[in-house]
Amino acid sequence: MVCSYPGDSLMKEKTDTHLLEYSVLLIFMVLLVLLFYYFRYDHVVLIFLSGIASISYILWGIIHHALEGRLTKFVAMEYIAFGLLVFLLFFTVLNF
Amino acid sequence: MPGVLGYASNISVKDLLEYTNAKRRDSGLSELRLNAALSAAAKLKAEDMFKNQYWAHVSPSGKEPWDFILSQNYDYIYAGENLAKNFNNSKDVVEAWMKSQSHRENLLSPNYDEIGFAVVNGVMDGYETTLVVQMFGRPRTASQVASVYEEQAVLEKEAKATAAVSERESSVTTAGVAGGAPSGEMSVYTPVEAPAKPTIDVTTAAKTVSAVFGGFVGTLLALDVWYSRKKQIRKFNGHTLAHLGVLVLVVASIWFVLTPGIVL
Repeated sequence: MVCSYPGDSLMKEKTDTHLLEYSVLLIFMVLLVLLFYYFRYDHVVLIFLSGIASISYILWGIIHHALEGRLTKFVAMEYIAFGLLVFLLFFTVLNF
Repeated sequence: MPGVLGYASNISVKDLLEYTNAKRRDSGLSELRLNAALSAAAKLKAEDMFKNQYWAHVSPSGKEPWDFILSQNYDYIYAGENLAKNFNNSKDVVEAWMKSQSHRENLLSPNYDEIGFAVVNGVMDGYETTLVVQMFGRPRTASQVASVYEEQAVLEKEAKATAAVSERESSVTTAGVAGGAPSGEMSVYTPVEAPAKPTIDVTTAAKTVSAVFGGFVGTLLALDVWYSRKKQIRKFNGHTLAHLGVLVLVVASIWFVLTPGIVL
């Protein structure tokens, strides 16, 4: 019982940080969807926004894992690969 | 093979005129009268873009919009041009112009009395494409402004030509000649062998590609989450749920937000 108190506190703190970080990601992505809607007729802006979306997701992943203290080269590569996939999908669709 | 993948559209001059004038009425401006010479100039411009494969206000050889207008003996004091391509319907075209400041300024300019439209199908960069050209003008003398009867005549010609094009599209499998519909009408420009309508609509293709790609990657990620939890595998990689969330947003954006049309 004595040891569980700081443990619970640590877990709560971690959950709060997680919630904050995921909220930042969610707000940013929703903002990008809204910008996508606003500029839906301008494909140059849309490709630019796709690039922004990919870069911000890569940065979010890297910062999030760095704050957790478990950022490795493998994790960074994973976010870079996923960000590139997202950009490639948008780029392909926008260039049809 | 050109023309297999393209944009299927349902745009008419009558609707474009109605939506344009509705926007002007909403802004307290006078309606524009459809002019045969401006419509002919718009059609020439669209055909020139297909023939020389460009998408711009000025052609690669330096031909400006005014050159097309003057070639129709339209003597103007003010003139303007809006372009659009790959839209599905007339309303979206006008809405897209209204969303862009420079196009809106043209559309809502008090300096114009007349307007001309051309909606032309053809092949550009290997895709079946629908180009919409909108030309504005104010003739040098007010008496030159088209009358209601002249406007009606242009619209009637347009309706007849649209019917003729639809008939031709249903009967033609391969075409080797340029479409020769009269001015201001929905016409088909087919300088190369191509079906009159695309076999695969680009919008449908884009949505399918995103769904297949998103579905495949999403399934892999979901399986990863499920298997890791089932086997209680402790992993040191990124957050799969975050990847899934982003993927869902991307596919949703492509399905519900992106539109195929572009204005210039």
